[in-house]
Amino acid sequence: MRNRLGVVKWRIRSLSERKLTTSARCFKAIDNGSEIGNNFPARAAQCPIKVQRARSTHAAVGTVLDTVSSAVKSWDEVPGPKPLPLLGNTWRFVPYIGGYSVEHVDKVCMSLRQKYGKCVKMAGLLGRPDMLFVFDAGEVERVFRGEDAAPHRPSMPSLNYYKHTLRKDFFGAEQDCAGVIAVHGDSWAAFRTKVSKVALSTSSAAQYTVPVAEVADAFVNRIRQIRDENLETPGDFLNEVNKWSLESLGLIALDTRLGCFESVEGSESQRLIDAVHTFFLSVGELELRAPWWRIYPTAMFRRYVAALDTILSVTLRHVERALKECEANGGSKSLLQDLVSAAGSRVAAVAALDLFLVGIDTTSNAVASTLYQLALRPEVQERLHEEITKVLQGRPLTPGDINQMPYLKACIKEVLRMFPVVIGNGRQLTKDTVICGYNIPKGTQVIFQHYVMGNSEEYFTNASEFRPERWIQRSMYKHHAFASLPFGFGKRMCLGRRFAELEMHIVLCKIVQAFKMEYHHQPLDYHIHPMYTPDGPLRLKFIDR
Amino acid sequence: MFLKNCLRIFSSARIRFLLNNNVKASTFVNYKSVASLSTSKLALESEKVKVTFVLNDGKRLETVANVGDTLLDVVVNNDLNIEGFGACEGTVTCSTCHVILKPEDFERLPEEASDEERDMLDLAYSLTETSRLGCQITLTKELDGLEVKVPETINDARS
Ligand code: HEM
Ligand code: FES
Repeated sequence: MRNRLGVVKWRIRSLSERKLTTSARCFKAIDNGSEIGNNFPARAAQCPIKVQRARSTHAAVGTVLDTVSSAVKSWDEVPGPKPLPLLGNTWRFVPYIGGYSVEHVDKVCMSLRQKYGKCVKMAGLLGRPDMLFVFDAGEVERVFRGEDAAPHRPSMPSLNYYKHTLRKDFFGAEQDCAGVIAVHGDSWAAFRTKVSKVALSTSSAAQYTVPVAEVADAFVNRIRQIRDENLETPGDFLNEVNKWSLESLGLIALDTRLGCFESVEGSESQRLIDAVHTFFLSVGELELRAPWWRIYPTAMFRRYVAALDTILSVTLRHVERALKECEANGGSKSLLQDLVSAAGSRVAAVAALDLFLVGIDTTSNAVASTLYQLALRPEVQERLHEEITKVLQGRPLTPGDINQMPYLKACIKEVLRMFPVVIGNGRQLTKDTVICGYNIPKGTQVIFQHYVMGNSEEYFTNASEFRPERWIQRSMYKHHAFASLPFGFGKRMCLGRRFAELEMHIVLCKIVQAFKMEYHHQPLDYHIHPMYTPDGPLRLKFIDR
Repeated sequence: MFLKNCLRIFSSARIRFLLNNNVKASTFVNYKSVASLSTSKLALESEKVKVTFVLNDGKRLETVANVGDTLLDVVVNNDLNIEGFGACEGTVTCSTCHVILKPEDFERLPEEASDEERDMLDLAYSLTETSRLGCQITLTKELDGLEVKVPETINDARS
């Protein structure tokens, strides 16, 4: 309810703006662009080869550009909510008066799309560059394809400050050793190269199949333990999913069973879980609201720094241990040891820190969201169960089995299309670029609105329906590959994608094997927390099969 | 060079891992790099094959390549001038190494595309029925004389 109020309030406020004419014009120009397939048959016919995927958009992108380029409009003309003098647009995120709730940016974006069209300017945010929200998958594709050697993903200035100012002695001690999060340019590229070959190779993820499956088994047992007499999980079930996620990542990034399921208040694992959560909760607040922390260390900022320090010290300790083991046993048998031997222990430690910063909440919220969606759909669970049983035939999971389970993979894709845990992704332009017919200056942060595009009828047939089949029988459903990119794209794509997918596939497989899921409470809305996740107690009923 | 060494280290780790788990070796068809790196170790020295890249403007780049290399290795090692090819260095996140094969070559490739490759092919520009990612095609002796087409890029379409 709060969200709706928020949006409405904001709408009223924006009535006072005079941008109506511009936005109407924008709509027109852009609508032309989106129907290019029909509007420019000549160009489409020119394509040398036939494809299953609707690639008319591709072929015509150039044409659209050409047609538009004669009349490229200026940055000033891009429609969007008007910044107030002095206050800019940051005030809109102030609780109660601003109307834009940080928690409901999803709804804010939906209404921006409806109100202003396929690209919307968000200017005048205190302490950060102007933003351009893009809702056009063809344009997203073009920006991604135009990427140079070191794409710049706008990241959190607060983390930037932590890595490059507050703790620069540590992160700056060796050249190119600051990690990938909140690091840009050559320094990012050098670090990414060291890590990505190891982290993104499918075989290095696959070698974790058996241990990750053990953690998933432990999680299944844990679910049995925490159910109440109605077989329902307690309201803080998400915290249990977090434990599973941390346990899995500990295994992958640190070679360690952290023992999260046995963890109690005050234990190292619980401290790590809490620290990661604090980090995430504060990032959203620190970044979107007025950045007071730049002037003095607010309470929120101090908590944030303490959380980062905790994560860093715990990971460092484990990396040192792994280093010793590596020296003792020689060779490499894990991601961590591979990294240590390939790039040194500092790179391994910094990489582990980055993986922890972004690898826990993402995966756990994706799993929580998937379990909730499946609990609402018994028929999907049945189909999953059938597929899994057919592949495994009663034996334990081995590497490669998941590849025989297309429906399982499709279910995750479908959840991430409709409810992407990261609702948008972005790039800070490294050169002036024409987007949607406007000349967008270098330095602008372009945000690709995957949540809005993924749920748009324009890009997906029956977008509002949960249909995993669409990812299997692609020809029967319209889909635009660049409209739903839950892990990003290109050189800067999610570094943990293989691990995230492995973890999610395996845990889902194990849970569906063990239980039927049901949900008997109020339907849950989604909110940004700061992952996009069901809002409210996740009281799922797990019935043993 | 340093990277090459690292890769070697990893490949041996993978091979060990394969040995430990070879109960279900058939499912490993999907794990490209396992197979490719082991082949390259065996055949690193001598075996060469001819590979031709046909660019969008019709230009032909003829090269001699090592058995066991991927098509991306061939482009990098021979400094072939193909704009934007292999942006993600073979980590299957970019699709800029997209090549189109002749149907008969496509059929005789020893390995099918993995799920990861398929996901990325879905994002390739000018996708066809016989498209593959160059970084995932490992050369074997049988592929001698292979000819692949490098499709147009978004930049070609624009100009
Ligand atoms: C469902 C789970 C996940 C989702 C939806 C997700 C999504 C994303 C997205 C959208 C990006 C930005 C990519 C781009 O800019 O193109 C990203 C980056 C990243 N992710 Fe993930 N992620 C997930 C899980 C993980 C996990 C488990 C890890 C670690 C093991 C991880 C590590 C990273 C890192 C290190 C980056 C930064 C890469 C760079 O800037 O070079 N992610 N992720
Ligand atoms: S080089 Fe990026 S996918 Fe092959």
